[in-house]
Amino acid sequence: MAHPSPKRFPDDSYYTETSDIQAETETVLLKHLPADPNSLPSLQKNQHLQFLVRHLVQGFPSRYASQDASQPWLLYWTLQGLSVAGVGLDPDNKQRAIDTILAWQHPDGGFSGGPGQAAHLLPTYGSICSLAIAGRPGPGGGWDQIDREKMYKFFMSLKQPDGSFLVAHHAEVDVRGTYCLLVSAYLLDLLTPELVEGTAAFIASCQTYEGGFSSASQPYFSPTSDGQPNLLESPRPSLGEAHGGYTFCSVASWVMLQPFLALQPPDVRRPTINYRTLVRWLTQMQGSESELGGFKGRTNKLVDGCYSWWVAGCFSLLASQGIGGGQGHDTRQSGSTTDDETWDDVDDSLWNRTALQQYILCAGQHPNGGLRDKPPKVADAYHTLYCLAGLSAAQHNVFPSPARRAELQHAWATSTDSPHHELRQTVFAEALSWTEEEGTSNVEGGHINRVNATHPLFNLTITHSEGIMAHFYHQTLPKRQRRG
Amino acid sequence: MAIEEEQSILFAERPEWADVTPLAQYENINPVAPIFYTNEYKDAADYFRGIVNAGEMSPRVLELTEKIIRMNPAHYSAWQYRYKTLMALKSPLDVELHLMDEIAVKYLKTYQVWHHRRLIVTQTRNPGPELAFIAKSLQADTKNYHTWSYRQWILAYFNDDELWDAELPFVEEMLENDLRNNSAWHHRFFVVFQAGVRKGDEDRDEVIRRELGFVKQSISVAPNNASAWNYLRGILDHNGTPYSDLQTFVNPYSVPHTLEETAEGVVDLENPLPSKESHLPAVAAIEFMADIYEKEGGDSLMKATELWKSLANEHDTIRKKYWEYRIREACQKVTT
Repeated sequence: MAHPSPKRFPDDSYYTETSDIQAETETVLLKHLPADPNSLPSLQKNQHLQFLVRHLVQGFPSRYASQDASQPWLLYWTLQGLSVAGVGLDPDNKQRAIDTILAWQHPDGGFSGGPGQAAHLLPTYGSICSLAIAGRPGPGGGWDQIDREKMYKFFMSLKQPDGSFLVAHHAEVDVRGTYCLLVSAYLLDLLTPELVEGTAAFIASCQTYEGGFSSASQPYFSPTSDGQPNLLESPRPSLGEAHGGYTFCSVASWVMLQPFLALQPPDVRRPTINYRTLVRWLTQMQGSESELGGFKGRTNKLVDGCYSWWVAGCFSLLASQGIGGGQGHDTRQSGSTTDDETWDDVDDSLWNRTALQQYILCAGQHPNGGLRDKPPKVADAYHTLYCLAGLSAAQHNVFPSPARRAELQHAWATSTDSPHHELRQTVFAEALSWTEEEGTSNVEGGHINRVNATHPLFNLTITHSEGIMAHFYHQTLPKRQRRG
Repeated sequence: MAIEEEQSILFAERPEWADVTPLAQYENINPVAPIFYTNEYKDAADYFRGIVNAGEMSPRVLELTEKIIRMNPAHYSAWQYRYKTLMALKSPLDVELHLMDEIAVKYLKTYQVWHHRRLIVTQTRNPGPELAFIAKSLQADTKNYHTWSYRQWILAYFNDDELWDAELPFVEEMLENDLRNNSAWHHRFFVVFQAGVRKGDEDRDEVIRRELGFVKQSISVAPNNASAWNYLRGILDHNGTPYSDLQTFVNPYSVPHTLEETAEGVVDLENPLPSKESHLPAVAAIEFMADIYEKEGGDSLMKATELWKSLANEHDTIRKKYWEYRIREACQKVTT
């Protein structure tokens, strides 16, 4: 049976640049709908793996010189793309990767976009995450060669009076920097109250009237008698409109800041965000059937494969805060899904996971390997990872398991008089409590299309997150119990 | 042109650079995922690493960093080092800004071109010409995120009445070009509600009336414009105005075109009707009406549920899960 022709964008017979380009895009996308709605194209895993391996082993063509200052990202996208697709590295390439990453470490702390470049928060995230995948403890393994003390000093040197961070010295403030810093601090056990004081309020100030988050906000200060500037609560306008990438960074940062906020004395006023408008905005970003259910990054913009992760990836983060469905369960009663029941009936999430898989499979794959923004664009390293990670988010429900959290808390083996003991323990247990819910994965197009689950905060596999955190927090992980 | 010829000569072949030791990127390792640079790029980058390593800050550093920036405007270290050099040399910043006028338009999409401008203008403290420059840049790329945030920063940071004066007419011009430009809508919200009270806007009730009038008019022209509906919700949420105040206006948009609407009757200026060619019912209007009914509670909750069901099953099926969630949430609120 052919698809019923999907309803097109209602242009109200009032044409503007936005509606024109929207109509053109829908026309192209609809050509990628399979004739038979019950037979989706398969994930061309082999071709995508070849695309990734070619970059890793041979290298990137010269047009990637525009990303010369993002070398850690190129590597991270490649390595994490391989991990999501279920492929590990051989020891030789692992060692080459470790040696390459260490060449990016800046002598004054943090990592740089390439050797001899300045330290910057974004490549620091890319480097640490790449090391989580390729590295190991011990000499030459990468992990113990990270200068954590200098990195912490570098982080503190970027901190601004409004709780935000410059992404590098003399560079801009934005929430990507906050996210990258927090993930690095989480993985390497560098989080302190001093580091994140005021940061949650900064994040909250970036939420716009639409519900999503912007890149940054503008602080205002009033002079005080002691000469210290006093940050005003208002005005504190957001700079830029609600945007998918910044929203992911903000929401993930918000979740990562919760252990710190929970330990604040009760008389300290906690910043808040508006979950109601956030949920609404996130769901609004999913394109309609005529856009094959892909996600866009801003109101009245076009769908793009990368928002499969940046926007759709937010839903599990929200669920962890008790917002919306998909909270996850440690045990599903076996046989709770009867033959008559479709996956849809047990799926209590807020968005259309089936449609997003359709977008990625039908429109996101480039015929020559690699994934992309949308047809007829070429594939690149960035879109390959974020389409695969988005596919993963659509297939799996990953949630913070209370049972796992309790196990981790119980097994915690660090003396209680170490600095910030309680915060570090909570961070560790919260971060590693994320667990893939069993029996609820929804893989469209058959098992061959399955990709690995990825950690909703870090975008690393659960295994890689566990490995690096266990090392830096000096913990032995309790075995995961397979249930059911 | 002589200049172009000179620029195409590699630094390695230029005698005036002979005293600099170029630094290769990787020594003694065979990196994974290498980029195949052009000779020209590799040459400039090697000399840049050499200069940084030596800590040199001289006029020729400006030439070198400009060369790199033109090949790769996202090279943040080149920008950072260029800025430090400009400061160290006390270089004339108007010259730098003039150069940036050209570079910014060419490489609109990079963070660094806009941030560098911001650093320079913070020094010159002359934001006046910036608004016109930004307006020109937005002609080329009407939704450029960096350009819009830069404009908002100029206004908020310098916070000068004269700068703010012409912002509403500017937004209206941008919206006239494309009523669906969400960046422009956001800018309007920033100007009117977020960044303090502007001169002449002291009467807030009047401001709200003006903004409601503007957004209603916009919705009547293109009832399915999500940007305008979000702006409307933004006004109401920000000011604590109940959605039900808008019921008379919104209702005709939540149903198919009616006969009364097409009859040339009394025109209600407060509540403009949907344009005749528009596609009704508009999803955003149904959602809005459901919000009103939900808030009313009691028997109206049934009406809200009916509307959500119609969204889930007919008008906005891609968001079926969300509309079902709204029904669940509303029902839970009643029972608890």
